[in-house]
This record gives sequence, C-alpha cells and structure tokens, in this order.
Amino acid sequence: MQPTMKTISSKNHKKMKEQSYVWYLFLLPALIGIILFMVYPVLESFRLSFFSSNGVKETFVGISNYTQLILKEEVFWKAIFNTFYMAIFQVAIAVPLGFVIATLINNLPHFKDLFKVLFFIPYITSLVAASMVFMYLFHPEMGPINYLLESIGLPGINWLSDPLSAKWAVIILGIWNWMGFVIVICIANLQTIPAQLYEAAEIDGANSFQKFAYITTPKMMPTFSFLLIMGFIRTLQRFGETYTIGGLEGSPMRSLYTIVGFIYDRGFNGTEYGLASAAAYILFMIIMVVTLINMKLSKMNV
Amino acid sequence: MFKRGLAIALAGTLALSVLFTGCSSDEPENSSNDVKQEESKTASGKEEVKETTDEYSGTVTVQMIGDWEMETTTDPLTGVKREGLEVVKEEFESRYPGTTVEYVIMGWDSYTQKTQTMLSVNECDVYQVPGIAAFADQGFLEPLEPYIEKDGYDLGQLIEGQIDGWKAMGPDETDLHIYGLPVIGDTRTMMYDKEIFDQWGVEYLSERPTLEEIKEKAAAMTGTNPVTGVQNYGIAWRGRDTADTMVNIAESLGGTWGDGFRFKELTFNFNSPEFVQAADYLLELLAYAPEGVVTGQGLETFGTSQNNVAINLRVGPNNYYNTYVTPDTIDKYGTSYLFINENEGMGGMFAGSPYSIGATSDNKDLAWEYLKFMTSDFYQEYQWKNYQSLPVIKSATEWDDFVNIPGMDLVLDSMKYLWTPRYPYRAGQPRGILTDSVERFMLGESTTEEALNDAQTQADEWVASLK
Repeated sequence: MQPTMKTISSKNHKKMKEQSYVWYLFLLPALIGIILFMVYPVLESFRLSFFSSNGVKETFVGISNYTQLILKEEVFWKAIFNTFYMAIFQVAIAVPLGFVIATLINNLPHFKDLFKVLFFIPYITSLVAASMVFMYLFHPEMGPINYLLESIGLPGINWLSDPLSAKWAVIILGIWNWMGFVIVICIANLQTIPAQLYEAAEIDGANSFQKFAYITTPKMMPTFSFLLIMGFIRTLQRFGETYTIGGLEGSPMRSLYTIVGFIYDRGFNGTEYGLASAAAYILFMIIMVVTLINMKLSKMNV
Repeated sequence: MFKRGLAIALAGTLALSVLFTGCSSDEPENSSNDVKQEESKTASGKEEVKETTDEYSGTVTVQMIGDWEMETTTDPLTGVKREGLEVVKEEFESRYPGTTVEYVIMGWDSYTQKTQTMLSVNECDVYQVPGIAAFADQGFLEPLEPYIEKDGYDLGQLIEGQIDGWKAMGPDETDLHIYGLPVIGDTRTMMYDKEIFDQWGVEYLSERPTLEEIKEKAAAMTGTNPVTGVQNYGIAWRGRDTADTMVNIAESLGGTWGDGFRFKELTFNFNSPEFVQAADYLLELLAYAPEGVVTGQGLETFGTSQNNVAINLRVGPNNYYNTYVTPDTIDKYGTSYLFINENEGMGGMFAGSPYSIGATSDNKDLAWEYLKFMTSDFYQEYQWKNYQSLPVIKSATEWDDFVNIPGMDLVLDSMKYLWTPRYPYRAGQPRGILTDSVERFMLGESTTEEALNDAQTQADEWVASLK
C-alpha cells in the first residue's frame, strides 16, 4: 500500500519534532550558565534583601533594609539625585547632538565610513582608561581644557574639585563615550527613509528645514525612543567612570556617588549585603519605572 | 608451596609497613633530633644557616593577593628582573623535605569577598588577610597563640607594634588575640624636595617636624621659584588621604579617633576639639597647596626630577623606593617622620598585610611552619628585593640592599610608632563619612565645626543602624 500524503506529512512532522530536541541539548550549556550565574544570583539577591547579612551571618529583618534606605539613608537619596542628574543631562545632550552629527555624516558625499569609525572608537574604549585620560584633560593646571578656556579669555575651572563641575566632567566623558553608538544607530535609521519622500516634498516646494521637520524627524521617532530607553538604562547603572574619578566615596563631597556606587560601597566594601541587595532592587524598580515612562512618552509599542 | 610462602612474605611486609606507619604520629612533634642545619643563601646572596626538618609532609596551599608571579619576570619600565614565587617554593620545600607548597594568586579587586568565599570552602591553608578583624569575627581564622607558645616562636624578632596591629577578636571573645603574623609592612612618612629647599634658601625639614615648622616652611616656598622661575607649592598630600592626615594631626594634638573594636560597639570623637584644631590647621595649609589637592590632583610630578612641591605630607613605601633607586632623584629627596603624639610616642595609621591559617585547614601544623617561614630573613628579603614590600623584621636593618637606600632606616623605624590595633572604623562607613566631611570644609562648603559635627552624627547613626 502506497503511503498517503497525510501519513508522510505526519512522519516528517514527528521526525522534525524529534530532531528539534537535539537543538535543545546544544542550548543546555548556555541555559545552565544563565540559570547558575544570572537567575540564581538575582533570586538570591532578592532573598538577601530581607536579611541583615555580612555574607556568613544572616538575620531576617523583613522589609527594614528597604525602609532604612528610603527613610534614613540620606546618602542613598544623594546617590539617586547624582545618578539622575548625570543621566538626564547626558541623554538630553547626546541624543540630539548625535542625531545632528549623524545627519551631517549621512549627507557627506565621501568618507562616510571613516567618520562613522572615528566617532564609534570612543564607544569601544574602556571607560576606566578613558577616565584616567579625562582626569588629565580636566587637570586645573596641566589640563588642555583649561588651557583652551584661558586662551580664549575665560577663567580656568577646577573641574574635579567642585561638586557641580565634577558632575559635568563625568557628563562630558559619558557623552564622548556614548556618542558613537547614537550616531551609528541614527545613521542606520536615516538610511532607511525612502528617497521618494524627499523627492515628493521637493516637488511640493518644501525647503530643507521643512523636509527635516516633517519627514526626517517623524521617521526617526522609533530610534529616539530606543536611544532614550537604552541611554537611561545605561546611565542609571553608571559606576566605572565615577569610581575611577571620585573613588569609593564619589569625591568631591559625594558628588559622584551613584546608585551602583552605593551598592558597591555598602555591599563589597562594607559587607552589608542585605542593604546592598535592597538597594539593587530599588534600582531595578527605578529603571523599570523610568523605562515605562519613556515608552509611554515616546509612544513606543512593546 | 612457593605461592603460599610468597603470600606469607607479602602479608608480613604489609603488616610491618602498617606497623611502622602506625607508629608515626599525625601530630608533628618538635624533636630537635630531626632538625638538620645546612648552609644557605638569602636573596642578596648572604650566607646563612638554615634548618631543615623532615617531620612534616603533605601540601600547604597559600593564598596571596596582588601582582605575585610564579616565574621570574622583567619589569617593563625599569628592566629589572623580578624573581618569581618559585624561588620561595623551592626554598620552603628544601627546608621541609617531603612537603609541597601551592599558591593561589588573586588580584586586589573584591579581595574581601574572594577571601571570604575561599575561607568558607576551605580552599587554602594560609591566607593573606588585610581585613583580618572581619574574618576572625566570623570564626574563620585559627588562633595563633597556642602555636606561638608551643613552638617558642620569638615575637621579639618582629618590629614593635606589628603583632598588636593585627590583633583581632574571635566570635566569642571580648579581648584582642593573635590571629595573624605580619608579613608585609607598610607605613607613611613625609618626604621633601631638598633641591627646592636649597633654591628657596630654606633649612631642610627636621627629622620630627612640628606643625608650626611645616606651616612656616610651606609658606616660605610657595610662589615663583627664585632660581627656576617655576611656580612652586610649599605642601601637598594625596587627596584621598586627607581624612587620614587630619586624624594623624589630631592624634598628635592629643586626640583619638574614638573607641571600640567591633562595629556595633564603636564610639567616635570626630568632633572633638583636637579634630577641629587639626581641621583648621589643614585649612591653613591649603593656601600653600596646588589647586585640586583635595581631590588628588597636583602631586603628579612629585618623586620625579620635574617636581614643583616642596613637602609631601604623606608618602607610601613605593614612592620611597622608586625615588631613591632612580639616579636622577636619589639625592633630591629627604624623609621625615609623621606627626607624633609626644605622650603616647605614636603617630600614623597602622597598615600592611598579615597572613593567617584557615580554621578549617587540614594541615595546620605545616601551615604554621609556612607562616614562620614568611617572617624569616630569606622570605622577607625576597619580598623586599622583588616586590618592594616593607619588611616586618628588625634584622632588615642589617641587609645591605636595604640600608644603602637613603631614608629607608627612618621608614623602617617609623613602623614602630604606628597606632595599634588597626583603626577599625576604616573598614566601615565612618571612613567615607569622615572623608565627605573633610572635603566639605576643605572646599569651603561648611565650617570645620559643622562638617565634623555632621560626621560625628552620621557615624553614630551608622553604628545604631547595625542590626
């Protein structure tokens, strides 16, 4: 008896289903790694946030780590303020500036790739190494930045000794480091906008500004949403550069003390693991809320 | 018949071997009959008599923190060869035939957590434990007093204060006890640029300068150098050490940081009159320091031939070594003691690294032998010569390589004046709280009294918050 189409299809389906299990076997090492090194620590950290723990001795304290952070730890609120201050200004400057530079590069007749590479290099540079260089650039006496300011008649700034200018030094470093990513993402989006839209607009008599305002900018909105969300997630987790420049205490006067800096300080330096875990979960909540707000504001669909 | 005889012979051999093995005790005994003496050479090639003993066996695993290397390497900057740990491994194994040393080397990043994990799972026998108090408090470390007593180990060979500095408390103890032997020494001294002093016509710093002397000389050397025309600063210190410098000054004025050893029991004197006086003094010095000194800028050229700062209030061991072995700078710099409290005869924060035995070590007796070996001339000289770690033994003053470096005798001597035990508050939040407050008055954001009162309140609140 000849096999019917139905029986052949059923056999193939069964065979394919059997074969698909093989692929799961290949995924197993990665899955085990994720469970052991990501899922377990995340859950363990959540459990720890309800304990007073120095890593060995543990006492259940309920939600008092959370209430202590929110109600008593002024320095935690200072860390939150510093983190948001630097995050807001960095994202608010880097995204529009990156977009403008991306537009300029996109309109270049030649050397587009060269400029893309030049702007992208800082993004792949180690932030710790870059921070060391920036400490020299911002040096009050030997630094080229003050030299430039003074050469145009402006007074030099003691950048890293003043709480406000120290934050701005970190913001500038952050913009320099992240700009390449913004530019590359913006260029990728700019190149997907159909040329016909601009041709039609020209026929209708639109000038360059109108094309930019009514075609380019609306078409870039999903990219701006993405950059806004990624930018905030990245900057709210800021630590490497502030630790290198300001040390464990976020000097001067804790102006560079960030939320992750607080977690590192209280957890790894002070062995107050319960408190640090609670701070990590508060940071998680903050990032989640900020991301939801950003998605809502930028009308990004999930 | 033959097979039966062979079986009986084999069984007899086995029984005899078991019998003889059974006779040897697991507990090593210090029988002087087992100790042999042999000629040996120290790292500098000096002949010494070393003792060897074959009464120990097994493996001792040693955890070490820092840039230790097993093999000989060459410093990329100076081109100087650095002998690897294989040298000390070979020496120990030759002193204790039948034993093996293994090393677990790790970086300084998160060393407390890594050490804690290793102690929890009995990874090693011997540990480098700069954070000894926290580990002893958790019952992770073996008390060493019984070993010292049983062995007749001479604590007098160590520089004064080194044992007291690392004393700690076990979980159920109320007094400080010995849980670690000092191995790496550390201290701070003042350094000054003799060339700048000469150019300004100012007399060099005395060996034990007073607060007034420092201020006067710093003021005299701030401005445009009369010979070179370069801007000079009278004084500077490492920005992140400002709080420690203030504590040193306050203690020299009769103050103390506070009292207690366990975090929950700490009390502080951060707003005492001596602290306020020290803070005001540092504020006065600020007028003679480079801009940015509070946040660690301005001392970049100190220790080089291009230096523009006359006095550095606080210098660590690496600075001395690098400065004094370089031909350009060997005669340029001088060294003085930190501020000393005349009544107590002490001044400066105790620092360095002790080594301890893990409480769950399987080979504690051999681990103790390794600890003793680390305080031997051979090991200490190896560390100094290859890693510039300050020795902790008095006999270092007899090493040619050591005494021929200018200032090193003073540096070594300064170690015995350091305040002991190690300041416990520096391992907790009060360290950051004090730094924050010091920066606040140094940057003109508050008065010294306000800032120190705030530090006192915050530090007290932190202690109260500990459950």
